[in-house]
Amino acid sequence: MSEHVRQALAVFEKSLDRRLLAALEVCARCGICAESCHVFAAEPDFRNAPAAKAEAVRRFYRRLHDPIGRWFPWWVGAKDLTEADLEELAEIAFGACTLCRRCTMNCPMGVDTALIMRAARAMLTAVGKAPEMLAQLADAAIAREENLEFFREFYIDQIRELERELQEQTGDPDARIPVEKVGAEILYVALSGAHTILPAAILFHAVGADWTLSLFEAANYGYFLADLQRAKAIARRIVDEARRLGVKEIILAECGHAYTVLRWEAPNWFDDFPFRVRSIIEAAAEWIQQGRLPLDPSANPEPVTYHDSCNLGRNGGLLEEPRVILRAVVQDFREMTPNRAENFCCGGGAGLVAVPEWYEKRMRAGRRKVEQIRQTGARIVVASCDNCRLQLGDLSEYYGLGVRVSGLMDLVVNAYLAARVKAAVPAVPARVHAGEPV
Amino acid sequence: MEVKADLTLDLKGLLCPMPVVKINQAIKNVPIGGIIEAYATDPGVMADIPAWCRSTGNELVTIEKQDKVIRFVVRRLK
Ligand code: SF4
Ligand code: SF4
Repeated sequence: MSEHVRQALAVFEKSLDRRLLAALEVCARCGICAESCHVFAAEPDFRNAPAAKAEAVRRFYRRLHDPIGRWFPWWVGAKDLTEADLEELAEIAFGACTLCRRCTMNCPMGVDTALIMRAARAMLTAVGKAPEMLAQLADAAIAREENLEFFREFYIDQIRELERELQEQTGDPDARIPVEKVGAEILYVALSGAHTILPAAILFHAVGADWTLSLFEAANYGYFLADLQRAKAIARRIVDEARRLGVKEIILAECGHAYTVLRWEAPNWFDDFPFRVRSIIEAAAEWIQQGRLPLDPSANPEPVTYHDSCNLGRNGGLLEEPRVILRAVVQDFREMTPNRAENFCCGGGAGLVAVPEWYEKRMRAGRRKVEQIRQTGARIVVASCDNCRLQLGDLSEYYGLGVRVSGLMDLVVNAYLAARVKAAVPAVPARVHAGEPV
Repeated sequence: MEVKADLTLDLKGLLCPMPVVKINQAIKNVPIGGIIEAYATDPGVMADIPAWCRSTGNELVTIEKQDKVIRFVVRRLK
C-alpha cells in the first residue's frame, strides 16, 4: 500500500459517520438515479450514473468493512484501493459530479451520493490529487486575510471609486459604501468584483439599511475541496469580522455555495455565532413584500427564465423568494421545466468552472440545461450564483443560445431605478445592464 | 513600471475567479524568472492577484489602475 493510499484511507475512515455509512450501505442498485443526473442525461454512459460513481468508493469500503468483502472480495465486488484508483476517483469526484444532490432527491432510498463524492474529495485533497486551481483559490482567500494590511488599502481604494458610481446612480451625493463600520446592523459579504457590490449598495441605500461591506469575499473554495480546515479558515475570516463589528446579521451576495457554507455549515463549526445569515435574495424578497422598493417591471421587458442554483434551491430551500422577486421586477417570467428542487444543475457547480482542463467536460454536462433554456424561449437567464452564471454564459456561447446571463439583483436595480425615474425622483441613473459586469 | 513581458494577457471583462484561473494557466507557459503582463477590468483582481502571488510564491512586480483598466505584472518564481 502506497503512502498516498494509506493517507487517503485514514481520511476516509475519519469521515465515516452515520450519514456516510448509510449512504454507502443502502443502495439497492435499482438504477433509478441515473436519469436524474445531468451528467448521465447528457451522456448516457453507465459510468455517469450516480450509483456507478459511488461504486468507486463502495469498492474499497466493502474491502475494509464488509465481512464478506474482507475474506471473499470477488464475491461482493470489493477491491483494495490503489494509487491508480485515486487518479480515477479524482476524475469522478471532482470532474463528473457537481455535488448537486438531484440524484438523492430522486432515489427511493434517499442515498446521498454527493456525500460519498465529498468524502472522496476530502481523501484526494489530503493527498494532493485535487485540482490545483481549487487549492490555489482556497489558499489565495486565506492569504488575503493573512496579508490584510496590504490588501485593505487596495480594497478601500476600489470601494471609494464604486461609491462615486453609487452616488451617480442614486443621485445622492451622500450615498456611502461603508467598510468596517462598527455597530452596523448588517455585514454584507460580496463576491470578488464590483458586480455583486454596486447593485446591493443601491438596494441597501433604497431601503435605508444600516450596513457595512465585508473586507472578504463570500466564495469558499475550501468547501469545494471538502477540506474542512481550509473551509473553516476561509469562513472564519467573515465570522470574526462580524463579531468584531458587532453586526446582527450577515447578508450574502448571490452565491450558491457561500450560502451553504455560511447559512448551514458555519453555525455548526463555530461556538460563538450570534448572527442571522441570509442571502440578499431573501432580504430583497422581504423588502418587495413589505412594499419598500418601488419597482417598474417595464425596465425588464424581455422574456426571462430562472435557473435554480442547486445550493440555493434544492439544498438551501430558497425556492419561492427568487420568484417573488422576478414576478415583481420583470414583465415576462417563464419557468424552465423542471424547476425549483427538481431543477437540473448547470454542469459547472462545485468548482468545475474554475478548472480549465474540464471545459469540454462541463460543456457536455450542461447539455440538459441548454435544452431547458431553449424550451423557454427566454432572452435572459437569471442565476443567483456566480458559478452558475459563468457556466451559463459559456454554455450560451458554446451552443449558440444567444441568451444574456444576469444576476437577480441586476434586474431588481433596473426596475427600482426605472420606478424612481417614473416617480420623477431627481436621479437620472445609468442602468445596470443585465448580464454585464458593472 | 517598464518591463519586458514574455507573455501579455487580456483579461478584460472576465469576472472572478477567471483572472486568477487564466494567470495560473499562463504562468506555466513562461520560464522561471519569466514575466507576465496582464490587463483586467474586474476590481476583484486588486485583491485576488496579490493574494494568489503570495500563496503560490510568485512575485507581484506591480499592480496599478489605469483609468478603468487594471494592469499587473507577475514574475514566475517557481
Ligand atoms: S442510489 Fe438510489 S436510485 Fe441510485 S441505484 Fe442506489 S438505490 Fe437506486
Ligand atoms: S450529486 Fe448531482 S452530479 Fe453528482 S451524481 Fe448526483 S445528480 Fe449527478
